[in-house]
Amino acid sequence: MTEDHLQPGPTPSPGSASAREADAATPLLSLRVPLTPEQSAAKARKYGSLYFAEHWIRTMRGYGWTVAMTAVGTPLVYLYAMGVGLASLVDANTNATLDAGNGAVVSYLTFVAPALLATAGIMVASEENTYPVMSGFKWRRTYYGPNASPLGSHQLVNGHALGVSFRLLLTTGIYFAFLLLFEAVPGSTGWIMIFTAALGGMAFGLPLMAYAASIQEDRGQFAMVQRFIVMPLFLFSGTFFPLASMPWAVQWIGWVSPLWHSAELGRVLSYGYGEPVWLTITHVLYLTVLALAGWAFAQRIYERRLGK
Amino acid sequence: MSATAGSGQTSSGEQLQLLPSGRPFGSLYSGNVRAVVARGLKATWGSNWAIMASGFVEPVLFLIAMGIGLGSLVGTVEGPGGQEIGYIAYIAPALLAVSAMNGAVYDSTWNVFFKLNFAKLYQGMLYTSLGPLDVALGEITLALLRGALYATGFTAILGVMGLITTPWALLMIPASVVIAFGFASFGMGITSFMKTFQQMDWINFLMLPMFLFSATFYPLSVYPQAIQWMIQALPLWHGVELLRQLSVGTFTAATGIHVLYYLVMIVLGLILTTARLRKLFLK
Repeated sequence: MTEDHLQPGPTPSPGSASAREADAATPLLSLRVPLTPEQSAAKARKYGSLYFAEHWIRTMRGYGWTVAMTAVGTPLVYLYAMGVGLASLVDANTNATLDAGNGAVVSYLTFVAPALLATAGIMVASEENTYPVMSGFKWRRTYYGPNASPLGSHQLVNGHALGVSFRLLLTTGIYFAFLLLFEAVPGSTGWIMIFTAALGGMAFGLPLMAYAASIQEDRGQFAMVQRFIVMPLFLFSGTFFPLASMPWAVQWIGWVSPLWHSAELGRVLSYGYGEPVWLTITHVLYLTVLALAGWAFAQRIYERRLGK
Repeated sequence: MSATAGSGQTSSGEQLQLLPSGRPFGSLYSGNVRAVVARGLKATWGSNWAIMASGFVEPVLFLIAMGIGLGSLVGTVEGPGGQEIGYIAYIAPALLAVSAMNGAVYDSTWNVFFKLNFAKLYQGMLYTSLGPLDVALGEITLALLRGALYATGFTAILGVMGLITTPWALLMIPASVVIAFGFASFGMGITSFMKTFQQMDWINFLMLPMFLFSATFYPLSVYPQAIQWMIQALPLWHGVELLRQLSVGTFTAATGIHVLYYLVMIVLGLILTTARLRKLFLK
């Protein structure tokens, strides 16, 4: 502990020199001058988002076992079922060729791996931005305590978003390790998928968070979201087969779907899927804009609802 | 017998005597399943009918997406009778079996979990003349009604898509109710052990691999022998195979085994559930 760490405040007692020696001997007994209420409020206003993110992550440790099991179990099951089981049918069918867009043909496992990773991002985001958000306002009312402190409502949004990002990166990181284990990623830029899949999760999660915060009365809306948004996106986003193999009538679902953009981006990074450069840039922009728009909406809705 | 514990009907003014009824399982069963069913219909269909009615959308979406999209990659597959069939015709009965399982499990686990732990519904029911077997059968009947409705809707859509090629295929509807019965009777018993939301996640955790591995999207033959045996021990595979055989009207000795598997599962599940309800509430 050195002098410049001391907070400006009431001057320490005359015995501070000996106190400092005692400090050096036993850091645990450090005699730091306590913060005044104004100072800790100022600190909370400055770092509030991080405080709330810390609370969020500590809460997550309560169901950490579930997080770990899903993060490890899901990739194993899906990769084995789709990347090995289903792949044996697809790869045996000589009429089907999954061309990488640059003349080369890729195996089904390579084709499906980036989409599975992107799907994991969407699933985690939809899990963390539905009931947990609603329970912050309704059942457990976890937002009202922090909101009564110097923390602003926007910091609750940021803290929650940071926490979700943390879990997303944890999940996509572990998932990617499994992809390597299954030798599903031929390209050297594949590791960037960890981040693009997490971005895809945020692009879906932040607008969902805004929606969840706006629900006043639980009438099973989340079951409907799961059934009419998450599931169709999962099925019609070119996850298990190229989007082009679907009729035009449903292809548009892929174009608006964050999952499709995230999966295609992953394919570019994983095996150099040959698509026009403008399309790749569009994927990144679209996901970023969705995430930012959702974030802005969430801030407005939190502020209105907590300010009542 | 004057007034039995089972009937609960007394003429006004008569002294109510609680005598054990003479029926078999009299201590567990009062022959009043319809009360539990009526209450359930009023409660669920009355409050969130949109969720209930849209439940059969999911397998249909799966059928369209996987049948057309994956079908374009897979081509034809060898059907139960050894003949080559289109991929969409191959996965259709499997998806019906899966949706029967999902519907039954969802109804008999999450809903029961809430009713057990939050609504305290069964406690109230068992304070009346209803016995644990009434409650179990009533709850399971509800799940089956829902399952039968979804199965009928799904089969109708198969018909519209021209995927019903034999009259035998109509037997898929009662068969999926049998599948749902097997899962529902077990689901309720297992749920009675659960105390937290996190423990409930384990149910999904077991369902996902069963769904993906049970020959839904590709034949079992792609796996090593040991994994094949493991999957054949699980209930969903038997349901998928049974419906697949019905869909083309091809029957083998295995058909009987599939049906028998479910009959045993239903009986064991009912025994487990009734015993659990009795242990929890009738101490």
